[in-house]
Amino acid sequence: MEKDSLILEMRGITKEFPGVKALDDVNLSVRKGTIHAICGENGAGKSTLMKVLSGVYPYGTYDGKIIYLGEEVKFKNIKESEAAGIAIIHQELTMIPELSITENIFMGNEIERKGLIDWAEEKRRTYEILKKVGLSINPDILIKHLGVGQQQLVEIAKALSKNVKLLILDEPTSALNEADSENLLNLMVELKNKGITCIMISHKLNEIAAVSDDVTVIRDGHTVESYPVEAGKVDEDRIIKAMVGRSIENRYPEHEAHPGDIIFEVKDWCVEDPDVEGRMVCKNASFNVRAGEIVGFAGLMGAGRTELMRSLFGKNYGIYRGGTIKIKGREVKLNSVETAIKNGLAYVPEDRKNLGLNLLDSIRKTIVSADLDKITKSGLLDLNDEKKAAEEYRKSLKIKTANVEAGVTTLSGGNQQKVVLSKWMFTEPDILILDEPTRGIDVGAKYEIYKLIHQLADEGKAVILVSSELPELLGMADRIYTIFEGTITGEIMSSEANQEGLMKKMTITSN
Amino acid sequence: MKYIKQVLGGDLRQYTMVLALGVLIVIFNIISGGRMLTSSNFQNLISGNAYVLVLALGMLMVIVIGQIDLSVGSVAGFAGMVMALVAKNYNVPWWCAVLIAIVIGILAGAWHGFFLAQLGIPGFITTLGGMMIFRGGVIWISHSISVPAPEQLKWFGAGYLPEWGPAFTGMNNSTLLLGIIGIACYIFAQLKKYKHSGDGTGAKDPIWAVVVRIALMTVLIGYFTWLFGSGRVGTSFPVPGLILLLLTIIYHIITQRTKFGRHVYAVGGNKAAAALSGVNVKKTYFLTMMNMSFLAAVAGILFVGRSTAAGPADGTSWEMDAIASVFIGGAAVSGGVGTILATIVGGLVMAVLNNGLMLMGVGADKTQVIKGFVLLAAVAFDVYNKKSGKSSIIGRIFSK
Amino acid sequence: MKKRTLLSMAMVATMMVATFAGCGGGREGATETAETQTTETTEATDSAAEETTADMPGFDAGATIGISLPWLGTQNWKEAEEMFTTQLEEAGYTPLVQAADNKVTQQQQQIESMIENGAKVIVVGPVDGSQLGSVLEQAKEAGVYVIGYDRLLENTTGVDGVVQFGSVKTGELQAQALLQGLEEKKGDKPYNIELFGGGPADPNAPNFFKGAMSVLQPLIDDGTLVVVSGQTEFTQCATVDWDNAKAQSRMDSLLSGFYSDKEIDGVLSPNDGIARAIITSCENAGQDIPVVSGLDAENESVEWVWQGRQYSTVAKPTDDLVKKTIEIINSLQAGNGMPSTDVTADNGVIEVPIYELPPVVVTKDNAKEVFANDPSRLDLLK
Repeated sequence: MEKDSLILEMRGITKEFPGVKALDDVNLSVRKGTIHAICGENGAGKSTLMKVLSGVYPYGTYDGKIIYLGEEVKFKNIKESEAAGIAIIHQELTMIPELSITENIFMGNEIERKGLIDWAEEKRRTYEILKKVGLSINPDILIKHLGVGQQQLVEIAKALSKNVKLLILDEPTSALNEADSENLLNLMVELKNKGITCIMISHKLNEIAAVSDDVTVIRDGHTVESYPVEAGKVDEDRIIKAMVGRSIENRYPEHEAHPGDIIFEVKDWCVEDPDVEGRMVCKNASFNVRAGEIVGFAGLMGAGRTELMRSLFGKNYGIYRGGTIKIKGREVKLNSVETAIKNGLAYVPEDRKNLGLNLLDSIRKTIVSADLDKITKSGLLDLNDEKKAAEEYRKSLKIKTANVEAGVTTLSGGNQQKVVLSKWMFTEPDILILDEPTRGIDVGAKYEIYKLIHQLADEGKAVILVSSELPELLGMADRIYTIFEGTITGEIMSSEANQEGLMKKMTITSN
Repeated sequence: MKYIKQVLGGDLRQYTMVLALGVLIVIFNIISGGRMLTSSNFQNLISGNAYVLVLALGMLMVIVIGQIDLSVGSVAGFAGMVMALVAKNYNVPWWCAVLIAIVIGILAGAWHGFFLAQLGIPGFITTLGGMMIFRGGVIWISHSISVPAPEQLKWFGAGYLPEWGPAFTGMNNSTLLLGIIGIACYIFAQLKKYKHSGDGTGAKDPIWAVVVRIALMTVLIGYFTWLFGSGRVGTSFPVPGLILLLLTIIYHIITQRTKFGRHVYAVGGNKAAAALSGVNVKKTYFLTMMNMSFLAAVAGILFVGRSTAAGPADGTSWEMDAIASVFIGGAAVSGGVGTILATIVGGLVMAVLNNGLMLMGVGADKTQVIKGFVLLAAVAFDVYNKKSGKSSIIGRIFSK
Repeated sequence: MKKRTLLSMAMVATMMVATFAGCGGGREGATETAETQTTETTEATDSAAEETTADMPGFDAGATIGISLPWLGTQNWKEAEEMFTTQLEEAGYTPLVQAADNKVTQQQQQIESMIENGAKVIVVGPVDGSQLGSVLEQAKEAGVYVIGYDRLLENTTGVDGVVQFGSVKTGELQAQALLQGLEEKKGDKPYNIELFGGGPADPNAPNFFKGAMSVLQPLIDDGTLVVVSGQTEFTQCATVDWDNAKAQSRMDSLLSGFYSDKEIDGVLSPNDGIARAIITSCENAGQDIPVVSGLDAENESVEWVWQGRQYSTVAKPTDDLVKKTIEIINSLQAGNGMPSTDVTADNGVIEVPIYELPPVVVTKDNAKEVFANDPSRLDLLK
């Protein structure tokens, strides 16, 4: 690669958070007028790298050099990077739904004449820019009335309005349906032809294969490899190998599985996105779990795994569009979380702080919170029983705290997760759904939680383990389902599975 | 200081308001030349504020679920007015009129609950509507004229417990009995707690701390028993105070010791997490709002009893007093935090402030200004403590 | 955990007990036998009424006199506050004058704190005359004399007498002034008029209206007066809370609804604030100013009367009312009991002695005479 053809060069970028090295000596070179794909597993450091580039993490909070258009730049905030022509389109859209397209596009950059906004000029320009992204709609329409795909395009239009030279798209298609996704990819190619450089962060290999000119793979905060490719002729296996890379160490306790009868069976489960009409987050999902079996669900973020699980758990998410659940051979209708719990289901959510815990509560109150009936005697809670139960779990799960009266916020992530697990073990479930149970937890605590999962399986419980870490699934699960865009794309015994095989099914529609 | 901490049991921050209350009482007693701590003044203090404190009990729960109820004053006024009108015009017995008022409160609450829980309209809006509807309703049905209430109701709003038994006690014996029951219950609860204190951890509370605790509480209850019981013959701990006391105990138990109470805190603390733990969020919203208006009706009845008539302006801005009590008691605007007992302390701080300033002859204008500053100071102090993570001044004094 | 909160209360209280043991209640009846206690309790409420007429002991010349006023938002109450303070002080008493911001609860607590402060007489200008029942009875039981000021105290046994201007009489005077004005200013009959009443929560308001109607009704019946809107019931004409703004909007709608093609000649107004609201409304609607009655002789209305915009007002000199009240207090202080009076009023529970004072009609013609002893109002007549 010749130096002068580079629009951006990031050299030796290192970014540390307390206790974690998110980026370690990462290098990235992007050629002018290309589409550059950055791939990596969840948590590999892709988003952090982009935040460094755009000034979200200002100059000085990281080590390394950023050379943009031949000069070293030191962005202090997003405003500065935007002024230099770098724009990020985030995974979550950042527009104001109650305002019109025009207002959103010129938000913060209003065209003023004598202190008043020049609406006519703003609208004229909006109309022009919208044409560039292939939208021919009235600029007065409110954002909330647009579909997600159109919103994405408006977001790009907003970037174009600021004379963008380098456009970064972070998982741009994760919320889009197929038609919109394709539309977006076409637009990217068009922009490239107009001389705008794009960086696309994605783990959908078919998309990368379709449009990218260069690929950089990041894993565990390091650049693994970076090389030019020919659009349409990308070696997907090579990318997958690079993404997964690391060897499976002996981080998982030994365990011998003794699966029993099928006790949990789901057939043709369909769920619609509650926010985006017509978008199905689960399509005809069918699977089963045996007593004493640990079943893994592999899928990347946004694949629909969490949505499927929450929908099964008393229709807590989305709009139910069909499907049946059988528990121990009997069909059940789980219309509320309460009935789901009564039927022996338990769900440990992936987002511990927002969904798993009431951060105002003490450990003691949290542990009993999902089954208060158990400690209720003639209408009143027995606080001594409560304390006993809490103490029991504190000891058996080795929750590190001086006192069960302490607030859950005083605990580390691992111990918080143990409290959440205690809360669900207290309900004595038959089927335990664990959604990313080890996210954000240090290695030592992970090992304890793995042992706990084994113990639960040995007690004859059916365990569903949702994870985006493939080694974890391979190390823990007896059987693995892969899920991609709401569809279960495969089922494999983990003894026969490998990471490459799984990643393939997690990233490509099986057609 | 460590010993004091052991007696009180660790977390000292919660005593800030209690201490403020004590200091206020002492200061006012000195300034007013001993007129604060008299039987009749405390009897008045309790019966004159019982209705606000009753409202505050319900308001605490509403604020804990993260909502607010602006309609309570209007609902109280409406229920009281209906009661007076029904008793006067249709000649129904007084107790029947009381029941009708309570049913009206419950229906008003169901109305608010329906809009909040089923339609998802925020409590602020729902009850702002309710405030207008019921205030208008009071004026409508009363033609803006006060209506005398049944004679028997006076006992609820301003009555005293009966005199009986020997005179040598020098007190109203009903009050004395109440005090003895209170002390006995406290001792029983402490001993039971002591018995279980070692469960699980094996670290029992020191016995001397329990004994000191019981002794202190006995002195306190004893003092107030004497204060309330030794007034003019025929007076005692006031009936509205007794009703308030019973309601406080009941709601303390509901919030701390029942499934519903836990659900209230769970919904207020983290709605999504509560829903994923099997809490029926809508039902919790509904019942809390319904309960609030039920208590509003009770407050309206107490007030009408004390005033001997229901007036068209009854209840105006009571909601604000109730809300202020709850926040002075340390509840969080964002929900999930607050207790019944702290709310009662908060309400008493307001009441004592009002009463003390009045004894000193300070006008209504200045009293209002001072109350406003106290509310701001109390909440600011709380927020400051939470932000800085420091213990309160009191906590720091005791921490060494 | 919750018990500890209680506990800390214990701590605080213990400190207080240590400091203040002894300043508490102290039961007077402690030495009495149990029998007398029981009888006293059961009869406490029944006997209250009899006690009023029973023995009325005097008290110290420097005793505390409580004055509880509804609010200070209108001139007459502000004047009352100042006059009571200065005149009671001159008479050697210790005045304790408070106003309740128009809130019943506030007034209840104020009266209680006056009892607490050892007041011997409490003069009450009530926010709502019927909502002070139990506190006034409490005052009675504590041996405090209760005098109603300007408004009747209803629905309670705890009142010894009420000083007020004859309210029915006031209404009659208002109506007579209205008639006189119509004849003077509006030429031949019939006259188109409208009627306004005061705040329904004030027991005087219906009486004003009743007095006025006793004069007007015969003339309405014989066709001399025409109430164009047909609204002649008190509830139709009442002005909630004596609120001027409400009166003005009612007048606005009457004018637009009934007088688009008619002249309005006169309006019966229960007080000055409402009178001015009515006049303003007529001016805005382009009508000639009608003959309007009033009450209270507020400064602004005195000026308006002098300028000829408001035809009349009725002076209820606060000074007279305060003087009469202090006269009664003096009589009580000397141990002579309540002065005798022929007038009583049924307050719903007992017959209350009423001390009525005659009000004075003020028009442009007699204004200088009436305010001859009132320099501040006399200043306005220039």
